[in-house]
Amino acid sequence: MKGRALTFTCAIAAGLATTMQFAAAQPPAAPEAITFLGEPVSADRIAQGQEIYANTCASCHGANLEGQPNWKRRLPDGRMPAPPHDQTGHSWQHPDRQLFDFTKLGIGGVVAGYESDMPAFGDVLTDAEITAVLAYIKSTWPDLQRDMQAKLTAKDEEGS
Amino acid sequence: MTRFPHMPLSAASRSAATSRHCFSDPSRRGFLTASLAAAGLLLLPTSLRAADPARSSLAALAFDGDVLLAAGQALVRSDDGGQSWSPLSGPAQILTLATHPERPGRILAGLAADGIALSEDGGRTWTSRASGLPAGPTDALAIAAGQPDMIYAAIRGDGLWKSEDAGESWSLAMDRPWLDEAERDLLTLASVDLATGMGGIWIYAGTEKGLTRLPDCFCRWQDVQPGNAMDALVSGDAPPSEAPLPAGQPIRALVSAASAPQTLYAALSSGVWTSRDAGVVWSRLAPGDAVSVAVHPTNPDYIFAAVDGGLKQSRDGGTTWSALAAI
Repeated sequence: MKGRALTFTCAIAAGLATTMQFAAAQPPAAPEAITFLGEPVSADRIAQGQEIYANTCASCHGANLEGQPNWKRRLPDGRMPAPPHDQTGHSWQHPDRQLFDFTKLGIGGVVAGYESDMPAFGDVLTDAEITAVLAYIKSTWPDLQRDMQAKLTAKDEEGS
Repeated sequence: MTRFPHMPLSAASRSAATSRHCFSDPSRRGFLTASLAAAGLLLLPTSLRAADPARSSLAALAFDGDVLLAAGQALVRSDDGGQSWSPLSGPAQILTLATHPERPGRILAGLAADGIALSEDGGRTWTSRASGLPAGPTDALAIAAGQPDMIYAAIRGDGLWKSEDAGESWSLAMDRPWLDEAERDLLTLASVDLATGMGGIWIYAGTEKGLTRLPDCFCRWQDVQPGNAMDALVSGDAPPSEAPLPAGQPIRALVSAASAPQTLYAALSSGVWTSRDAGVVWSRLAPGDAVSVAVHPTNPDYIFAAVDGGLKQSRDGGTTWSALAAI
C-alpha cells in the first residue's frame, strides 16, 4: 500500500509537467491501425489515452515511455522499477488481455504474491479509460513490435 | 580471444571462491570448494585424479548427445554410457555446464574464477566467453531451447545476463529474484520450452530459497504455478493443487528434458526429484545428497546424477538406478 500511495502521489505531482513534455513524445501511429481486444480505437480515444497517460502513468513510466532509470536493477526495497512502455521494454510482449488485467488489477492481482509499486487502477480509471491508455501506448510502438504484439493478442484470444 | 587449455585461478578469485562458500548447507558450490579446501588444492591439473570422494566432487553434469560430461576439479567425458571416463583438457574450477541438442560438441562451462568458457569440439579446445560480463563466479548457465546461440548466465552477486551470439557479447537481462525478503543468487538455470503466453518460453531457476521462473521477455521473476493459476486468481476460484519441492533446501541443479520439457529433474540435499508438469507437483526419485543431475537430449527417462559422492544413472525416469564407474 505504501508503494501505491507513493505512486499516486508521484502521478499527481508530475501530471502537469508531463503533459507539457508529451508534445515531444513519439507521434502516434495512424489511428486506424490501432485496436484493443479486437476493437478499433479512434483517434480521439487515443488522444484521450495520451492525456490520461501523462496524468496518471508518466510519473513512473516516463513522459516518453522510457521507464525509470536502471529499470532492470532492483530497488532497495526489493521491488523492481517501473519498466519502459516503449519498444525497449516488454509491454509489447504481453497480449491485450494481460495488459488490461495488469493495469486494472495491479501486478499482484495477476501474479499471485508478487509485490510491485504498480497499483491497481481499477478504482481510478474506467475500463474505457484503461483501454484508451493502452491503445495510446500501442500507437507509439514501431511496426515490428506492434505486429508481434498483435499476433500474441490473437493467439491469446484464440485460447480464451 | 583468449584460448586456455587451463584456466588457473587468480589469488583474488581463489579468495572469493573460498570465502563465499561458507554455507551451512552443503550446496553444490559449497560441496565443490569444501572438497578443494580439504585437498589443499586450488590450482588443479586437468588430468584425472583417483576416485577419492574428497577430491572427485562433481559440480556439474551434462549430456552432449550420447556423451556424458562431468565436471568439478576436472572435466571428464564418457563415450560408453558411464562405464569409463577419459579426461578433457578444459578450464579449471567448473561450476556449471550447458549443452544444446542442436549443437553437438558445443559445451559451455561456468567457472569459479570469473568467466565462461566455450568449446565447440566436445571439450578438446576452449575459448573465453567472459568479455562484457561482470566479475564474479558463473554459478549457472543455460542455452535457450531452440536457440543454441542464446545463452543465459547467472553471475553470483549480480544477476542474470544473456548473450544472443554464443557468448561474444552480453547484456543484463534481469536482476536476481527477490525471495524471502532478499535477493537470491541463481544456483541453476534451465530453459524450459513451454509457452509463457507472452510470445516466448520460460527460464526456470533454482535458488537457496527454492524454485522460481522468468519469462524470456524478462518481465518478472515469479512462482511456478499451474497453467490455469492466473485464471483462478482473476476469477477468485480455488487454486489448483500443488506439491512443491521441500522448503529450506537449495536447488543445486535443475534440468528440463529437451524432448519433454514439462519433465523436470532437480538435485537437492534430500535427493533427486522430478516433476512431470513443469514444476507444480514434485516427487522424489532417489534419496541421497544430490549435487547435480542431467537428462538425455532425446530420451527424457535417461538421467544421470551425482549422489552421495558417486554417479548413478537411470534409464526409466528414475524408477531404477545403477552405479556408473568412479571417476
